[in-house]
Amino acid sequence: MADQKKISSSSTAEYFSKNLQQVGFSSPTKAVLTTLKEAVDNALDACEEHHMAPDIRVEIERLGPGSIKNSERIRVMVEDNGPGIDADDLPKVFGEYLASSKFGRGRCTRGQQGIGISAATTWAQLTCAQGAKVVSKTKAMRKAVSAQIEVDIKNNKGVIKNRETFEWDRAHGTRVEFVFDGRIQINGEAGLLNYLLGTTLVNPHLNLEYKLPEQEWQKVERVSREVPLIPEATEPHPHTMKLGEFIHHSHLFGRQKVNAWLKKGFSRIGDSVIDDIVKVKENALTKGLFEKLVDQLEDGEMAKIFSAIQKAELKAPSTNSVLSIGEDAMSKSIQRLGKVDFFSVVTRKPTICDFKPVQVEVAIARLEQKTSDASDSPAQLLRFANRVPLQFDKSACAIAQALSSVNWRAYGLAQPKDAFPLGPYIFAVSVVSPFIKFKNASKETIDASDELVEEIRRALIQAGQKLSRYIKAEHKANELEEKIRYIEQFGPILVEGLARITQAKEEQKKRAREGLMKILGRDTTATEKELEDANTKLEIQKAKDSEETA
Amino acid sequence: MSTTTRRGGKLQSEIPGLSKALCMKLLTDLEKGKRPVLHATKCSLDNSIYNHKVGYLTPGGKKVATELNVSSVKKMSRAVFMLEILLRNIESGAVNTKRELYYMSKGETKATPLLKPLDFTEQGESDETIDFICEILECYREELNCYANDRGGQTYSQQLVVTETLPDGDTAVVDLSKLGTSPFQPKNRPQNLKLSARKKIDFCLIVESEGTANTLVANGITKRHNCIVMGAQGVPSNAVRGWAKLIQDQLSVPMYFFGDLDAYTLQNIYRTLKAGSAASLIRNQDYSAPDVRFLGVLPDDIKRYDLFDYPVKENDMQEVRALKKADDALKNDPFFQDKRNKGLADILRWLYKNKRRCEQQAFFSVNPKDPTMPEKILIDKIKRGDYV
Repeated sequence: MADQKKISSSSTAEYFSKNLQQVGFSSPTKAVLTTLKEAVDNALDACEEHHMAPDIRVEIERLGPGSIKNSERIRVMVEDNGPGIDADDLPKVFGEYLASSKFGRGRCTRGQQGIGISAATTWAQLTCAQGAKVVSKTKAMRKAVSAQIEVDIKNNKGVIKNRETFEWDRAHGTRVEFVFDGRIQINGEAGLLNYLLGTTLVNPHLNLEYKLPEQEWQKVERVSREVPLIPEATEPHPHTMKLGEFIHHSHLFGRQKVNAWLKKGFSRIGDSVIDDIVKVKENALTKGLFEKLVDQLEDGEMAKIFSAIQKAELKAPSTNSVLSIGEDAMSKSIQRLGKVDFFSVVTRKPTICDFKPVQVEVAIARLEQKTSDASDSPAQLLRFANRVPLQFDKSACAIAQALSSVNWRAYGLAQPKDAFPLGPYIFAVSVVSPFIKFKNASKETIDASDELVEEIRRALIQAGQKLSRYIKAEHKANELEEKIRYIEQFGPILVEGLARITQAKEEQKKRAREGLMKILGRDTTATEKELEDANTKLEIQKAKDSEETA
Repeated sequence: MSTTTRRGGKLQSEIPGLSKALCMKLLTDLEKGKRPVLHATKCSLDNSIYNHKVGYLTPGGKKVATELNVSSVKKMSRAVFMLEILLRNIESGAVNTKRELYYMSKGETKATPLLKPLDFTEQGESDETIDFICEILECYREELNCYANDRGGQTYSQQLVVTETLPDGDTAVVDLSKLGTSPFQPKNRPQNLKLSARKKIDFCLIVESEGTANTLVANGITKRHNCIVMGAQGVPSNAVRGWAKLIQDQLSVPMYFFGDLDAYTLQNIYRTLKAGSAASLIRNQDYSAPDVRFLGVLPDDIKRYDLFDYPVKENDMQEVRALKKADDALKNDPFFQDKRNKGLADILRWLYKNKRRCEQQAFFSVNPKDPTMPEKILIDKIKRGDYV
């Protein structure tokens, strides 16, 4: 070929700098939310890793018109009281893609790959020609370090600039500030306020102070001092692997016997499993093969072992690696959303969906109704994946699908067919798993597999059952009120009408009125009894709930 | 005050007495602290009885009991309130339509603050209350001086003479042959009419479409034949039903119905005219003409006269519903289940199976150049006894 073009390779940073829309920077509005989200996620993860109760301050302000169309220059600042970052690590954390302490570890942390915060730095760099301004101090540092971090896009390296040290009145922590082009949306489903309130809901141990443009500082106090312990990852389950991954996995364990590698490197493989595999004739595997060293296996042998394991019946993966917020903490946290009439929370036991450990938690609250319009509007759904609010592409999400699939009418809520229930309710659904399958790299939608949708649906049904006790008690109270009103209104009209037609005397009319009140009074007594029963059932449920959480 | 109207064989004058007795019973029950119960005839197909000898649907023994409780106190109060207005009308001889009664009741509740909770927000609510009263007293709406608009029933004849007894006792004589091109419009109170014939009348033809009835008359059917021609205008109103019954009872002439061949016409128009309906079980006695025969369009007419017929369209909701209902009617409707009505049931089955329809106006396609062709076919069918 005469005109052969040179094939070149690009760095990861180069790829993402050209495809920032894939990681949440697809519009100026999303850029603000994604930047905030990435910074807060990192702050929370850092605090939890070091078992510190997070105090986070967020400040967002408008600095003037932006350089790109329909945008403003925005400043987002996030400060935490976490462990801080060593000065030498700052370029890696904020300026290098896929440089993460969490990548592929199989733990329930918010961040997983080490892309998000570097993408925020890139966006600031591309739109305002300056990266992230970071201040950090660890316990070991006498003074805090401040610096500007930029991404060397060509080489996927973080570059540190203007490094200085100074006295900071904090024992430790990190402060990161981005100035970039974006657009602020405060209210609505995709608004900043929704994100901040959602974050406080699923992080009961969080103290949050925030200031949004043209507003005063707001403070949301923590309702729990218990910092969740993020469980250590369990070894991978062989049924979740592909052949290539399986072979690659073997390289991580050096010169070991095959059986030792299998037992150490995977969950749910023990001697008995290996014995069973050898016993199956079709597998054509000898015991001796498992005594060989891993690096001496030929590719064909590796494939045979892999295929035999895939056919073997193994226990489902362990669920020890998931963590929950807990019903008690959720109960306290949900009351930070606003004035709540009543609520119901459910924490499901960890389970396995699509061969991955998952735990689902649901909180439903009915807010004190401000306007009558709220009765006809769909309920508000707050979705969380690993305790991070999801705010876009709701319809395809497993959580939204599960919510629509439940028959809420059975629990006393209005609901159009195959749609969200109506009314001033907030449904918060949290899915926690070390391996959440998202539909896109910006982690906005959880893939709706049948098993996961069913698990979420069950959690919602349980919460709905609890909620229905409140609704039933309320319904009975309304019914009683309505009955009393009816008796007072229609009783005299009926008697007066009958008396006029029959030309009854006053004395007879009086007796009839008394008789009518007696009859209708009996109906009220029956409803009073029903109300009492409903309230008793509710009290029993409350007692049971507090017993369980204790 | 009119006291001559029949009430299921009794007089309208009994209604005030019956009402007072009923109200007194309610009042006495209340005095005793006992829950009063109102029993109303259940007007539905599952409480309909059809006996060929009787000729129309009559009510079975099922009653709907409304016991006074918190849920029913509003319904009962509304019934007593409306009954008072209706009794006042009977007393004074005033008549009203349902719509007028709706507005009258609104006026009453507006004027008396105590009655405000009874206010009807829609006419449907006051209509339901009136129907409830009729079911309790087992009387016709008309007997409570509540009349619907005189819809349908335009009648033409060169032989028929109608003598009407007016409320003041006077009589009016209407000779239909003297009306020129104007039809006679039967009233809602056909019971006040007396019929006679100047000359022997051979038959009475009831046509589903009033337009087609007009056409037949304009083209001379009443000049060439000693007959009565009446337009039903779709589902027959009480006026049409009572009028047909009167012609049957007083003139004893053969009566034929000519309408579309479809499930809606057969079930909702013809069956109502001939045997009444389940919804009007109480009044079928005076509002059905069991002698009316189904002259056409018959399924065989399509072949014989090569008529245009066509499959039922999916968007023709009225007919699609009627076809669905036909399956149920063949299984549960005592009228179509009676072996004497096998011919009619066969037509309904044919319609259900073939899902086709043929309109009455298709007879105009047989010989477009001859405007009297439809008349010729109809007369030919009557002569041949080609009806069901």
